[in-house]
Amino acid sequence: MLTFTLRRLSLFIFTMLVLTLLSFSLSFLFPGDTVINHSGQINASAAELAHLNQVYQMDKSIFYQYGAYLTHILNGDFGQSMASQSPISNEIIKLLPATIELSLVALLIAMLVGIPLGFIAAIRHNKTSDNVILSLAMLGYSIPVFWLGLLAILVFSIGLGWLPSAGQISLLFEIEFVTGIQFFDILLSDSPYKWQAFRDASAHMILPACVIALAPATIFIRLSRASMIDVLAASYIRAARAKGLSFQQIIFRHAIRNALIQIIRHVGLQFANLVTIAMVTEVIFSWPGIGRWLIDSIYQRDYTAIQSGLLVLSCFIFIVHILTDFIYAALNPLARGNKHGS
Amino acid sequence: MNLLDIRNLSIELDTPSGRVLAVDRVSLSIKEGEVRGLVGESGSGKSLLAQAIIGVLEDKWHVHADRFHWRGIDLLRLSIDERRALLCRDIAMIFQEPMSCLDPTTLIGEQLSEAIDTSQLTGYFWQRKKQRKDAVIKLLHKVGIKKHVQCINSYPHQLTEAICQRVMIAIALAGRPILLIADEPTAAMESTTQGQIFRLLANLNQLKNMSILLISHDLENLTHWTNTITVMYSGQFVEAGSTEQIFNKPMHPYTRALVDSSTKANLQLPSKSRLMTLPGSIPVLQHLPIGCRLGPRCPRAQQSCVAAPKVSNYHGHKVSCHFPLLRETGKKESVRHKASKGKR
Repeated sequence: MLTFTLRRLSLFIFTMLVLTLLSFSLSFLFPGDTVINHSGQINASAAELAHLNQVYQMDKSIFYQYGAYLTHILNGDFGQSMASQSPISNEIIKLLPATIELSLVALLIAMLVGIPLGFIAAIRHNKTSDNVILSLAMLGYSIPVFWLGLLAILVFSIGLGWLPSAGQISLLFEIEFVTGIQFFDILLSDSPYKWQAFRDASAHMILPACVIALAPATIFIRLSRASMIDVLAASYIRAARAKGLSFQQIIFRHAIRNALIQIIRHVGLQFANLVTIAMVTEVIFSWPGIGRWLIDSIYQRDYTAIQSGLLVLSCFIFIVHILTDFIYAALNPLARGNKHGS
Repeated sequence: MNLLDIRNLSIELDTPSGRVLAVDRVSLSIKEGEVRGLVGESGSGKSLLAQAIIGVLEDKWHVHADRFHWRGIDLLRLSIDERRALLCRDIAMIFQEPMSCLDPTTLIGEQLSEAIDTSQLTGYFWQRKKQRKDAVIKLLHKVGIKKHVQCINSYPHQLTEAICQRVMIAIALAGRPILLIADEPTAAMESTTQGQIFRLLANLNQLKNMSILLISHDLENLTHWTNTITVMYSGQFVEAGSTEQIFNKPMHPYTRALVDSSTKANLQLPSKSRLMTLPGSIPVLQHLPIGCRLGPRCPRAQQSCVAAPKVSNYHGHKVSCHFPLLRETGKKESVRHKASKGKR
């Protein structure tokens, strides 16, 4: 297990190094002065500029420059936003938790809906329910998310008036910023309207989370259907039947566990896709997350923000990848332990 | 009384070009306490037959039988669920490639303990867990696994093929079966472990009076362990009889060829000479010959072989051939066998 952890950790470090290399090179590729792209200080005076040049070691070779850039990033200094002239790290700390919250809830919805539906389709393979589920999945996968988001607002917020259309929580509730994840903050706060606030936040969450979850859920349906069909055809299922186990026992004790293991690997891969969808959805639902902020920065040509937003989001996705790898290893005894010759 | 009595069992497969008769009217009967061998080349439908008996074939296979009796009970009159419940209680099966037949993500102990029926346990529910564990350890000891703690706490991939097969046998024994179907239990195993597994099965047969249906492609090896043998070719019944009858006096040209191709029966052959083999290979399911399926390869085939032969019975030695090898070859065969015995 230690080797496994160390290998994942070294993979993480090297991938992050490559990513910083990419964001470092972006400063040269973007129009404008490199040091200003690094720091984001567009209104710097001559003296400040000289100081920045020294801090980022612009007079030395490119390796020193990269080293200086890396030191800044490791110290949590991403420079200033060109648009708002406030430190980017503060904005990220404020915005990233909202995105994490939204995408994790969406992932949860996608898994809770998609995987059981896929299992049902696989168990009733080639029957009507299988075909219905599969065609629904095909339909859901083909709907573009921006259109679906607008349609959801039109139907559920404007037409039926059930759910709010924008924002994270109603302005009536004042919740202190502690972790940034709204639900935790509400539970931590000692406001007398805690539960009303919780309900309001949930109502705000439902629509965007469901819109984000749709496409990944359809992918999970197809993945879990395929892996369940595989597992049900395996010889250990036939042996279990010969053992005299009932169908439910076979499904719940043997089939689901083995099918889940194959799906877990794909969850990490799908998460990157999901975050991309979440960024678009954040814009539609005015969700105060890092995706909307990043898209705004692209519009405003806020090069420093684009660089660091890229870095932070990919770091987040990578951490989720590693976490799913750990869950995979925990669930699958074959991935654990020392392997020889592989 | 026959333990299992199957008459004219056919298995059909749905293919895009219509149904194919994979197993064509095979009869099989097993007596109490006997070891019956089922021999045939790979693809002759012997595994299908075994899976059809225990009822674990997939939906694409269709099984029909004229008679299917289990200990005097007509199973064809029962509903599918009743039949499955009855058969799963009394018949157990072990498969080839034991490692793939054990759930890779579940501990051996867990897989063993779920095979133990609750009706075997006595006492209150809080005592059951311990009883179950004791029963698991007992089963492992029965199949000759001494390090039970280690075995219970390991996953299938951590054990060897032979240990996995022992675990499979232990799982099969958990239901206290009357009949054990062993579908090539030693395929892809070393010969020493093969011997161990066969000895274990023979012990179980003698000590517990458990009947065994031993499926194999290796006629020569099978003769050491069985009382009676049924031979199949390409989904058709070929010949059935006692082991001596089949091995020493084969009546069907196919069985004859099988015996001739083994080294033990041909000890008088000069060294480095070729063994007798039939020309050609087993037909594929899409292009099955009509009538006797051995026809195109058979050295004794004549025009009437395009019609499927009826089974004829010679003192318990059943053979399905228009032109069986009768007395004259039988005599020659026994003489030859004596000679080979003398050499040994």
